[in-house]
Amino acid sequence: MDGFGFKDTFSSITTDALLEALVVVVVAWLLIMLVQKLIPAFASKLSGKIRRYLLASVPLLRLLIIVLTIVTVVPILVEPSFENMVAVFGALGLALGFAFKDYANSLIAGIVTLYEMPYRPGDWIEVNGQYGEVRSIGTRAAEMVTLDDTVVVIPHSLLWTTLLANGNDGTDNLMCVAELFLDPNHDVARMQNLFRDAVFTCPLTKTYQPVIVTVSATDDAMRYRLKAYPLEPKEQSCFISDLTARAAAVCANEGVRMVSKRVTKPV
Amino acid sequence: MTNETAQDHPYLPGGLILLDQWKTPETSVRKSVRGALNDIVMQLRVGVSPEEQAFQSLDDLPVLAGEKLRAFAPEPDPGLLATALNEQLCQLQQAGTQRRNVSLLVAPPFSGVAEALRHSQRRKLTPPDNLFMTEQDAAAWWNEQLAGGDWVVPELADFWLRHQSGLNLLREFFARIALDKAGNGVVGCSSWCWQFWVQYLPELSLVPYTLAPLTGEQMTRWFDYLASDREGHKVAARMTHDGLYVLPAPEGKTTVKYSSFTQDLATLARGNRGVALAIWQRTLRARPEKDGEQEEKEPAIIAGRQCWVVALDQLSLPSAPHSVGRQPGHVLHALLLHGGLTTEQLHLVTSLPEQEVCLTLAKLLRADLVNLNQASGTYEVTPLGYPAVRKHLQDCGYPVDGF
Repeated sequence: MDGFGFKDTFSSITTDALLEALVVVVVAWLLIMLVQKLIPAFASKLSGKIRRYLLASVPLLRLLIIVLTIVTVVPILVEPSFENMVAVFGALGLALGFAFKDYANSLIAGIVTLYEMPYRPGDWIEVNGQYGEVRSIGTRAAEMVTLDDTVVVIPHSLLWTTLLANGNDGTDNLMCVAELFLDPNHDVARMQNLFRDAVFTCPLTKTYQPVIVTVSATDDAMRYRLKAYPLEPKEQSCFISDLTARAAAVCANEGVRMVSKRVTKPV
Repeated sequence: MTNETAQDHPYLPGGLILLDQWKTPETSVRKSVRGALNDIVMQLRVGVSPEEQAFQSLDDLPVLAGEKLRAFAPEPDPGLLATALNEQLCQLQQAGTQRRNVSLLVAPPFSGVAEALRHSQRRKLTPPDNLFMTEQDAAAWWNEQLAGGDWVVPELADFWLRHQSGLNLLREFFARIALDKAGNGVVGCSSWCWQFWVQYLPELSLVPYTLAPLTGEQMTRWFDYLASDREGHKVAARMTHDGLYVLPAPEGKTTVKYSSFTQDLATLARGNRGVALAIWQRTLRARPEKDGEQEEKEPAIIAGRQCWVVALDQLSLPSAPHSVGRQPGHVLHALLLHGGLTTEQLHLVTSLPEQEVCLTLAKLLRADLVNLNQASGTYEVTPLGYPAVRKHLQDCGYPVDGF
C-alpha cells in the first residue's frame, strides 16, 4: 500500500475533517432529495415547455451537486497535491473497476445520458419490449411507467447495447396510430377521406401536426392506419380509443364490415 | 403595390392588412419577463384558491356604470365599422391588390367584424338550420344561396360543426371561392375557424385580410374617438394613483405627462380591440384615490368631462379553471372554433355527454369565462376571459389561432 502513497495521502485525516466531510455529504444528500421532490412537484403544477425543462433539470442539478460535493470533500480529507489526487482517484478507479464494474458502467452511461439525452423525463420510450413514460432519471437507472401503471427500472448501461425507441424525443409531439382491418371490396378513397375527417373532428387531435391515413392490402383485409398527434402524449390511449371508435362509426355508417386481426392472420 | 389600406380611419385604426403581416404589439423585455413570471405564479396559485377565478377589482373606488360608462367608453357602432370596412375593401380592389370576387376578412373574436358585416348593405347569407348535410345537399344549398346579387357571410364559423357530418357545407364553399366561382361576396371568418380550415385544407390558397392590431397609440386614439361626443368634445381620463393622462390622445408635442396604460393594455389584449375595450370599461372609475392630490401633480388640460382609470394590476381578470380532465378545454376550444354553441351542439362537437357539458359550463360561467347569449341561446367566451382562455388552450396543446 505504501507504494501507492496511501499512508501519506490519508495521514492528514482527522476526526474533525471526517465530521466536516460528513456534514458536507449530508447537506448534499438533503439538497439532492429536495431537488428530486420539489422540482417535479413544482413542474406538475405547470404546463407546456417550462414543465419539460424543469423535469429535465433534475438529473443535471443532481450531477452538479454530486460533482461539487466531491470537489469540496476531497480537499477536506486529503491535501490536494497532484500525487494525492492520482492516488485517490487511482484507488477509486480500481475499486469501481473490479468490485462495482456493472454499477460503474451504469453510472458512466448515466452521465452520457445527460449529455446525449436519448431520453428525458416525460419521453415515451420503448426498451426491450417495454413501453412507457420516463418518470425520472437516477444516477444508475431510469424509471419508466408503462401504460398499465407499472414501474420499470432501466439501468443506463443498457444504452450501450440496446436499441431504444423514443416516441416524442423531448417534445409534446407523439404520433399515435389507430389500426383497422376492413373487409375488402369497398371504396378505398372514400373511406380514407372519411377516416381523415374522423381524425380532424376528434377534439384530442393536434390539427397543426400532420394527419395521415394509409392503407395496405393484407391477405384477407384492407389494413388502414390512422396516424395523428394527440394534444398531449399522456393521452395516447384515450386518443387511439377515440379514433378507433370514430372510425368504427364511419364503417357502420358506410356498411363496411370491420374484421379482427385474428381472422386476418389465423393461428 | 400596396398591401395595406389607409391607416388613419378613426373607426379602423391601422386599416386592413394581409393576414401574414399581423404581429402582436411590441412590448419591452422587462414586461415580457414579468408577464411570464406572473403566468407561472398564476398557474401555481390555481387550485390553491379556486374562488379567485372570476373577475375582481382589487381597489374599492366607485366604478363607472350605466349612462356614464356608455358615455366614456361606448360600444363601437357596427354600422360605422361596416362603412369603414367597405371603403377599405373598395380601396384594395381599386389598387388592384384584391383581385378576387370574394373578399375574405379573418379576424379574432370580439373584433366586431361579424357585427359590422351584419350591418352591410349586401344580401346576407344565413346558415341553414341543419348543418349536417351530404355533399350533394351542400352543393345544392350553395347553388341556391349564391345565385343572385352580391352577398355577405357575416360569420363563416356559423356554417359548420366540428363533427363527422358537419364539414360538407364549408368544404363545398371553400372549393367554390378558391376557384372564384361564388359570385361577388364578402366573408367574415373567425380566426379560430380559419385556423382549423387551413389545417384541414392545406392546399387552400386564399389571401385573407385582417384588422391591424391596435398599438398603444392607436388604442388611445380609438378610445378618444369613441368617447368624443357629437360636437367633438373630448374626454379626459387619468390614472387614479398618479394622475397621469390616458385620454385625450396627445396632439403634437405636449408637456403633459401620459401614462403607459394603453401600451400595457395593447400587450395584454394582443392588439384585439374588443378585448381591450372590455378591459378598458372595467378600469374606469368615478374618482381618484385621493381627491385633489392628482390635480396638484398634473393640472387639468380639459375642462368638463373627466373620469379616472385604475391601473391594470388592480384588476384580477378571470383565470382558466384548474381541472384534471379535458372537459373545460374541449368546451372552451369548441366555443371559440364556432363562435358560440348550444349545449346540444357542444355535446355533438366535443363528444362529451350533455350532463357533463352542463357541469363544465356551470363551472366556466362561475369563473366569468363564458356567458349565455340570451338572444341566440348559445354559450360564448367572454372578452374579459379571452386572454386567459387562449393562453390556457395554448398551454394544453390545443390548436390556437394566430392572433
